[in-house]
Amino acid sequence: MSVRAHPTRTRSLQYVALAGYLIFLGFPLLWMLSTAFKSSQELADITPRLIPSDPILDNFGDAIDRADLVHAGANSLQVALATTVLVIAMTLPAAYGLARYKTWLRPVTLSWILIGQVFPVILVAIPLFLILDQFSLTDSLVGLTIVHAVYALPFGLWMLQGYITAIPRDVEEAGAVDGAGRLRILVSIILPLLRPGVVATALFTFIASWNEFFFALVLIQDPDKYTLPRTLVRFVGASDQVQLGPLAAGALLATLPSLVFFLLIQRRLTAGLLSGAVKG
Amino acid sequence: MNVKHLAGVALVACLVASCATSTNESDETSDSGDSEGPVTLRFNSLAFQEPTIEASKAIVDAWNAEHPDIQVEYVQGSWDSVHDQLVTQLQTGKAPDIIHDESADISGFARQGYLADLSPYLSDEVKDAVPEGVWDAVTVDDKVIAAPTLLQSYMVFANTDLLQQAGVDIPAGETWAWDDFQAAAAKATTDDTYGVAWGLAEPTATVTSLGMNFGATFFDGEGDDADITVGDPELALPARIHEMTYDDQSIDPTSLTLSGSDALPGFLHGKYAMTVQGSYVAQQLVQDAPEDFHWAVLPPLSAESAAQAANPQTLSVPAESPHVEEAAEFIDYFMAAQNLAKVAEGDWLIPASSEASDAVAADTGGDNGWNEILNSGEYLTKAPFQSVTNYPQWDDQIATPALQKYFADEISLDELQAELTDGWADVSGG
Repeated sequence: MSVRAHPTRTRSLQYVALAGYLIFLGFPLLWMLSTAFKSSQELADITPRLIPSDPILDNFGDAIDRADLVHAGANSLQVALATTVLVIAMTLPAAYGLARYKTWLRPVTLSWILIGQVFPVILVAIPLFLILDQFSLTDSLVGLTIVHAVYALPFGLWMLQGYITAIPRDVEEAGAVDGAGRLRILVSIILPLLRPGVVATALFTFIASWNEFFFALVLIQDPDKYTLPRTLVRFVGASDQVQLGPLAAGALLATLPSLVFFLLIQRRLTAGLLSGAVKG
Repeated sequence: MNVKHLAGVALVACLVASCATSTNESDETSDSGDSEGPVTLRFNSLAFQEPTIEASKAIVDAWNAEHPDIQVEYVQGSWDSVHDQLVTQLQTGKAPDIIHDESADISGFARQGYLADLSPYLSDEVKDAVPEGVWDAVTVDDKVIAAPTLLQSYMVFANTDLLQQAGVDIPAGETWAWDDFQAAAAKATTDDTYGVAWGLAEPTATVTSLGMNFGATFFDGEGDDADITVGDPELALPARIHEMTYDDQSIDPTSLTLSGSDALPGFLHGKYAMTVQGSYVAQQLVQDAPEDFHWAVLPPLSAESAAQAANPQTLSVPAESPHVEEAAEFIDYFMAAQNLAKVAEGDWLIPASSEASDAVAADTGGDNGWNEILNSGEYLTKAPFQSVTNYPQWDDQIATPALQKYFADEISLDELQAELTDGWADVSGG
């Protein structure tokens, strides 16, 4: 009743809440942007300002030169893209099987996947290192890609099987009635309908791999193979010492590719998230 | 459709390129260190400030030029992640040949047998140049498990204008008595200014190290076989800080919740007359202080003594390295006075060797607090807690929260004593 009686006020409150949420999410990014343009003297000022009083670009030069940001960015891009392709290629058929064939194996498998997620990564670091070493995959971007893919698989599988479950079986049955075989149904009917889910899963996988630090730290030793998070940590020293300007500039530059990736597929992602949220 | 195809081709190309480049690179590096050709040693350096990184790389370059058969590869590491990295690398036999760390961290690995004894390889010059108390900090089970390179001490940094306005004479002796420090802080406290800012968000390291001024030992014994003692000497420093905060009101209570670096902006803005910080903060003051801000490093604080815990940065060699002797030879070279002086100046830390300390004094003229900082080096010595296996757990789970509560005036001194003592029984299984 009250919502109908005061639609304008309700809508205004919704916008205020949305604006508040946007500020909550966006402010750290905005502060990082501001910090990236501040000198160390301004960063030591007792009165913090969002707009730098005397903006400088030196931090970006420092970040690019000292952290070899371009090379590390190329490594991160290789690993994140390869991880994304691998995860999508492996989760698609597995998610279809889990969603459509509802045997006793389904809840067992899904529970197993969930249980696997609760173990801290530090527990598996050493055995994983030893196994990868057997195959000469330590200090290798291929090895890192495999590890990232393994860690992204469960979440991808959960997401995708939710999207597939949301596609009515009637659609497939209608295709079968029209004479389409199983493969044709999958390629021509399911895949196009699943596109938002694939895009959403790809985005989450890409960002997870792009940001991953621990395995990059443990597995990669050759500076030529450092990924972005691995190289940015050099601006953090002992006893709370941080070179905040170069770190913010480097982190800002490191954020840009995932932002661009997000912007490129934003429309499809929104559709995918909504369909997953309502029906998954 | 064309765009989609292109995107697909690009993805596959990236995947293939990733495999191709990584496999090739793996093949290249796996050959290093073979018996044929020069030995290649990997040096994981944690040098932080740019001048120190440059100085470290220059030392490596000079070594490589002089030693064609033993080449050192410089790898930039980070303090923030070195422990996690070493846990995996040492257990899997993949640690760098030369490990840069600090004694408090590396001692745990040494007790597990992961580090080589360097004493047979280090030269007499290096052994003689480093004080006995500092060698003690890197000696585990009678083995020298690292060469100590640089140290830090806790120093009082003063806004000299504020102290002089308050009528406090800038101390100039070898040490500065705690009572005089407390009196100066009270005198410099006004309606607008606190006498002291002390960033004690993580208070345990400060209390166990600077507490040695009052004869605090906290622990008796080594390794797993250690007992705790929390008596008057151990409680003297926390009690003094509490008294200055809540009775004298000369320490800003909010500063106790900050990290050391977070307290600096207020100091630079004239909100505090003094601040207690690690000696390396002098570098930040030189870099960031406004031109009209006049500051000084005051002499090391002293009660029963001016002793503080020596937790030197270290260079170690994994016991499993096939090139222990060569790596130790490089460490010996790194420890030469002029080399150590250069890396010390960059990070504004105290070189472990007396000759290097003299070289820094000569290079800097003792300006910008160098005299006082270098002077404080002579009081650094091994603290009992550095030999205790469960100390890090006690620090993290017991001492830090207990001290934070005490400094927030939430518990009494007796309750602090009980929490520190009973908590040790919990973490040590006693």
